[in-house]
Amino acid sequence: MKESMKKKASLDFYLILATAGVLFVISAICIYSMFYFKMAQVQEMAPMVKAAYMENMNTIISPFLIILILLLGICVPKRLLPANWLLLFTVLLAVSSLGISFMYGIKMGLVVVLLISLVLQFVVLVMALAGSERLNFTRKGYWVRTGSSLLHMGMILFVLDLFFYQHQTLHLILFWVTTGTVVAGMTFCFYADNVVGLVRKVTGR
Amino acid sequence: MIMESLLPVALFSQVGNMLLLVLFVSACLAGFSGVVNIARPAALFGRPTSILLVLNAVVFFAGFFWISWFHYQIYTLLPLELPSQLADMLNRRLEMMNSGAAYAFPLYDAANPPRYALPLWIENEKYYFWFLCYAVLAVIAHFRLQQHRLRGVIHLLLAVQVAILYFAANPFTEPLPRFFSEIGPWFTTEMHHGERFGLFMQLYPKMVFYYNAEYMWFHPPLLFIAYACITLTFVTSVFMLVKYDLEVEQAGYDFAKLGYFMLTLGMLLGYPWALKAWGPNWWWDPKICSSIMMWAVYSTYFHTRLYANKKSMWYFSSFLGILCFGAMIFTFLASFYFPGEHTL
Repeated sequence: MKESMKKKASLDFYLILATAGVLFVISAICIYSMFYFKMAQVQEMAPMVKAAYMENMNTIISPFLIILILLLGICVPKRLLPANWLLLFTVLLAVSSLGISFMYGIKMGLVVVLLISLVLQFVVLVMALAGSERLNFTRKGYWVRTGSSLLHMGMILFVLDLFFYQHQTLHLILFWVTTGTVVAGMTFCFYADNVVGLVRKVTGR
Repeated sequence: MIMESLLPVALFSQVGNMLLLVLFVSACLAGFSGVVNIARPAALFGRPTSILLVLNAVVFFAGFFWISWFHYQIYTLLPLELPSQLADMLNRRLEMMNSGAAYAFPLYDAANPPRYALPLWIENEKYYFWFLCYAVLAVIAHFRLQQHRLRGVIHLLLAVQVAILYFAANPFTEPLPRFFSEIGPWFTTEMHHGERFGLFMQLYPKMVFYYNAEYMWFHPPLLFIAYACITLTFVTSVFMLVKYDLEVEQAGYDFAKLGYFMLTLGMLLGYPWALKAWGPNWWWDPKICSSIMMWAVYSTYFHTRLYANKKSMWYFSSFLGILCFGAMIFTFLASFYFPGEHTL
């Protein structure tokens, strides 16, 4: 048990490092695009050329966004599963998303990963709300865990919203759900003590 | 200035400059105390500096109130009024433009002509609001942290910001130059109906989607509060590199939490606005890229901080706190250097 916990902690640590690494690469691509935008005077170009530039940048950044979404897909069940199961889940997730991408396109593959993550994150949220001790969190406290679950669910919803921004009604619904979830998540996560105080004041307990 | 006959510009400038002078003097004194405290092994001027900082924040608020008053004058005294025969033509045109458009223009109402409800953080006023946020947070940090050198750096940064305001970004001497140069011809030039109609069609979209946009009241101010928090996290992060002090780290983390909250919410609220104002072609805009980069660094800071009990992660998270400040400066300057939708 102790060994498994230790393994989990180090996996957690490496997942964070991997996420930091991918975010660093995405940042570097962003900087490159900014200077390219300036040098090539993209804003002066015809709409067709501008669209081609955006398409090109999308192609460059896509692999890293895919890795980021996959990491997100792995980070969510780490709260639920022991280390060995998590590795198995990671392999299954990668293989199934590759299979779906191959059959229906990359976009569909990523949407499936996001939807699986969303469902799992919802389970995590429900368990956190129920005060389950079976969840693996680095930090302790009911409101911190609930907040962290909400915050991460908001991030998944935000990425999903990016996929659907052309469907205006769905986009707006998703956007406001995302915003509400993220704000509630940050409030509970960052200001757990104040939330506890407020709850005690309201309930009188 | 062309608008002086229509607005109390001279009064606004006189009172505003007086307040700014008081701010400048008090910030210089606080900055001097900061330098002395950084250089000395023991604290000096503790109580006078506390009073100065509070005074500074109060004067900042008075100036902000004064800016709000000026904006109210603009709202009441500068409506975009059209002759009635033009109003009918305009509404037909607007109805045509609105049909099939994702976001519609409000029709012209002669009884209630469109007015500029300018946000309080455009042009040089944005620096004023940003530095006001820093001044308030500096007071909180000053009373919370006892280390005299840390306090000294916070005071010095306040003095630098007020000096920038006084010498390079004064919002009172020549208020809102870009805005007035845009709307000036409407109020000061004689023009025939066709010209007036054409000018209205230039001014109205910017009024609806920029100056009067509801997002303008949330997106920029939340980011400026975040910028002020990031500055304080930067100061504490620098100190973390020098000394292992949990109190300083906790204070930096508290400012970072507020900053991250404001930054995330501010960026989120900018997203539907960007779609409304620019359509879908905004994603690779340089300012958006740099903002996402800053948010990514900030998010990484929060994740690494979970492991700050490890020595290497202690230094890494403080390095990220400093990098975040660098990313913030880069993001802010991006508006000036890189072309795009956010270009100033």
